[in-house]
Amino acid sequence: MAFTLYTLLQTALLCTNAVAVLHEERFLSKIGWGVEQGVGGFGDDPGVKAQILNLIRSVRTVMRVPLIIVNSVSIVLLLLFAVSLELRNPHRTGSFWSCRAVPGAQDALRKLRQASVAIKFVTNTTKESKRNLLERLQRLHFELQEKEVFTSLTAARSVLEQRQLRPLLLLEESALEDFTGIDTSEPNAVVIGLAPDCFNYETMNKAFRMILDGAPLIAVHKARYYKRKDGLALGPGPFVTGLEYATDCKATVVGKPEETFFNQALSDLGCSASEAVMIGDDARDDVGGAQNAGMLGILVKTGKYRDGDELKISPPPHLTCGSFPDAVEHILNQLL
Amino acid sequence: MAAAEWSRRSQSLKGVILDMCGVLYDSGAGDGVAIPGSVEAVQRLKQSDLQLRFCTNETQASRETFVAKLNRLGFDISVDEVFSPAPAAVALLKERGLRPHLLVHHGLLPEFESVEQKDPNCVVLGDAAEFFSYQNLNQAFRVLMGLEAPLLFSLGQGRYYKEGDGLNLDVGVYMKALEFACDVKAEVIGKPSSMFFHSVLRDMGLQPHEVLMIGDDLVNDVGGAQSCGMMGVQVRTGKYRQSDESHASVRADGTEADLRRAVDLLLVHRDAPRTSS
Repeated sequence: MAFTLYTLLQTALLCTNAVAVLHEERFLSKIGWGVEQGVGGFGDDPGVKAQILNLIRSVRTVMRVPLIIVNSVSIVLLLLFAVSLELRNPHRTGSFWSCRAVPGAQDALRKLRQASVAIKFVTNTTKESKRNLLERLQRLHFELQEKEVFTSLTAARSVLEQRQLRPLLLLEESALEDFTGIDTSEPNAVVIGLAPDCFNYETMNKAFRMILDGAPLIAVHKARYYKRKDGLALGPGPFVTGLEYATDCKATVVGKPEETFFNQALSDLGCSASEAVMIGDDARDDVGGAQNAGMLGILVKTGKYRDGDELKISPPPHLTCGSFPDAVEHILNQLL
Repeated sequence: MAAAEWSRRSQSLKGVILDMCGVLYDSGAGDGVAIPGSVEAVQRLKQSDLQLRFCTNETQASRETFVAKLNRLGFDISVDEVFSPAPAAVALLKERGLRPHLLVHHGLLPEFESVEQKDPNCVVLGDAAEFFSYQNLNQAFRVLMGLEAPLLFSLGQGRYYKEGDGLNLDVGVYMKALEFACDVKAEVIGKPSSMFFHSVLRDMGLQPHEVLMIGDDLVNDVGGAQSCGMMGVQVRTGKYRQSDESHASVRADGTEADLRRAVDLLLVHRDAPRTSS
């Protein structure tokens, strides 16, 4: 905690208040520090106690009115500061994936469906299977089916199927479900997701030796770190980078904002990039990535959005709007 | 032919620096195994008029333990002939008043006993092998993220080394991982840092052009030595791979089968009478 000038001022104010509040009758006299009790004989040099008593009395007299003013100003400033903090960092609710739905999102989705556009729900998760995500959304009254959900794990699976690879899957238990049906015997490829249990020396060494022998390295995404309950924790990115360095190879990254991710989702939808729109709260990974792949991008100001994000990508988003329902209105009125 | 070329130039050499792991011996179960011919090669070098030093990025054990192991394998080597990153790191930390959070092999901890480690203001990475667990790495990561000016030191930057019959990830891999996670650049102590090589040269009292480095790691041994002005010869033992001979940026002055062959070629021209040219 930095000991700032503000802290010093605050301390001084509190001390002054503490002295001014000492009551003459109810307290000071009772402890022998009353106004008559410290003075020595007339003509004697005032002792230390007398000097302190004089100080206390002066503070109480002189500072009475100024303290009223300074205290009031401090209280108002503190309240304003706290309010502005809250406004700048309101509790994040997320665009779609979280415990609270964005108000009006369920209806907006229904309207979108009535306009008969094909919809894909895309996310970079590597810890949850499609089924878990689906359950969470359906509990929030969103109407969607499993085949409409496309995650970075789905993207990885598509790559494996297209290239007919047998992977060593370095993934959490819950994510393995999305790879049922893929042959993992005698692996000839390495797939890395967010899997702290797999990031030990032995498993990393095994993956390293495979890649050195020619196995392709597929990274579900390259996040540097993520937020856990107990603090920041390393994501898969550092381990992928380490393996790339060790083997002098480049990993195929399949999650957002890679083009591969969006191309796979589009091919699943059966439409071309120019016929598609991406709605997301992450300027770089969602909107930037989609626009690079040739799609239109709409940035919503919910979730992880921060003021000024729309200026961080070039070209800027096709549209920046309040939330998902606003994006849907725009699509229905302007783009269809 | 390349072999004749570099060994002809060896007439002007006054000193040799040898890498250890992959040149003298291979790691493995127990003490490991001496590479055939290396013990005799070292003896021949000691009997010659060349100054001899040993350079290693070995950081799984203290120098004393490490040299004792080599003595057991038959090598006539003493501790003060061996240069490793740990003592260099300790000197640097003390000089700059730094307190390290250590992510190193347990066997190396004794080298850091004299350094204050409470309330760390930097992170030091060594070849921790199985101690490179997710928890330990995360701890080091959090220390770095908690510093206003994150300072990361790496004892070497090797990608891998030979152990048993396969290759194992070396400290460089984890250095890159933390560099990426924290967006910092690590300072490398040990090969191929030129500061490290120069400290060896100073000890020998020789100029770079008078010294030859023999190693199995093309980039860190040979490349590092060449950047300082020394000659660098790679041997086809240890972590050597066929692809090293077509490396994009480093070209060894010579590539020989093993240390025995390299020393043969080195000494043959020195023993031969100088021809006037």
